[in-house]
Amino acid sequence: MKIRTGEITTHVQRLPAAPREEQQGEPPVVVFVHGLLTDSLASYYFTLGPAFAAEGIDVIMYDLRGHGRSDRPHSGYQLESFVGDLAGLLDALGEHRRVHVVGNSFGGTIAAAAAAWHPDRVATVTMIESEPPVAEWTRHMADGLADAKDQLRHEEVIGWIKDNHGAHTARLSRGASRILQTTTLAEDVPSGRVIADDLSAINCPLLAIFGDESGLSAQVPALETKLDRCRTVVLPDQGHSVLVERTEDTRDILLAWVREHELAEAVR
Amino acid sequence: MTTDATGFATADPGEVLADIAGMLRALLEEYGLDEAEITRETTFHDDLELESIDLVALSGTLREHYGDRVNFAEFVADLELDEIIALTVGQLTDYVVKSLQATEAGGSR
Repeated sequence: MKIRTGEITTHVQRLPAAPREEQQGEPPVVVFVHGLLTDSLASYYFTLGPAFAAEGIDVIMYDLRGHGRSDRPHSGYQLESFVGDLAGLLDALGEHRRVHVVGNSFGGTIAAAAAAWHPDRVATVTMIESEPPVAEWTRHMADGLADAKDQLRHEEVIGWIKDNHGAHTARLSRGASRILQTTTLAEDVPSGRVIADDLSAINCPLLAIFGDESGLSAQVPALETKLDRCRTVVLPDQGHSVLVERTEDTRDILLAWVREHELAEAVR
Repeated sequence: MTTDATGFATADPGEVLADIAGMLRALLEEYGLDEAEITRETTFHDDLELESIDLVALSGTLREHYGDRVNFAEFVADLELDEIIALTVGQLTDYVVKSLQATEAGGSR
């Protein structure tokens, strides 16, 4: 289904919660947010989405602007635009429940920003291999995106990726390059709105899942110090591709997390 | 699968293959590609150059066509991501045929 969110059209897929005998009132709702450039809602549609619906949770998945089957405007890729699309999507769907926002990589940054800027709409945030939207994150993104934009336009780089990581990854990289060359995404993402370094803008429970071989797990002590209601999980022998390579672990951790916070939502 | 023992036309493998090929051609037309030859051996990613997000769209079309009798999301949920990448039109056809036969068998009881 395609839905108007602000100035663009967003591709949405919903999976309704399977009936559960023990369910009192409405089931919880999870919104899954995918990552940048090589990603789409398919990453959830083929992994966590069906499992969550089967467990009695309403599932909303959507393609970020510029990605999948959503519109790809030339510009307008600041973080606040992505968060605006998420809020607009919930409005358009008439979603009155507070949602559990689960984001992978850049999607987790969007989830954290949504919690900060729309606290009334977000029950909990989960970041899978993500950084919250603080100033340092914008520097990482600026460097990484400028580098990708510069490198991926060379056919020999795509050829190297094909030889070393396979034809599928090479095709994904070519797709990523198309977004980078035809839009201002690489410049926009790092130039948007941020939150203060102390993370005081995030007031809902936050779950952060990392792979121990990814540099991002170094954030664990700071997250736990700065946030009152924070849980961190670091998966051993795992790099950045947590969602794809550790789907079952991620599913179990997340399902337990949503159930744990369900009661708190019900008595609000 | 060479014969359809149930005798139900809707679960005929040849017809299902033709239906799926039609859906794929409609999908490919969006990319300006309409010459593709589609057989049981055709793979979604390597031969048709479809991305996983296109399989999501295909899933919606399957639902429109067959209703709840065919649950593509459930089918792929059991597959690893590299198996989804290597998926062939024949594998999907077999799954659809099996789903249709299962519901027909259930309905005739």
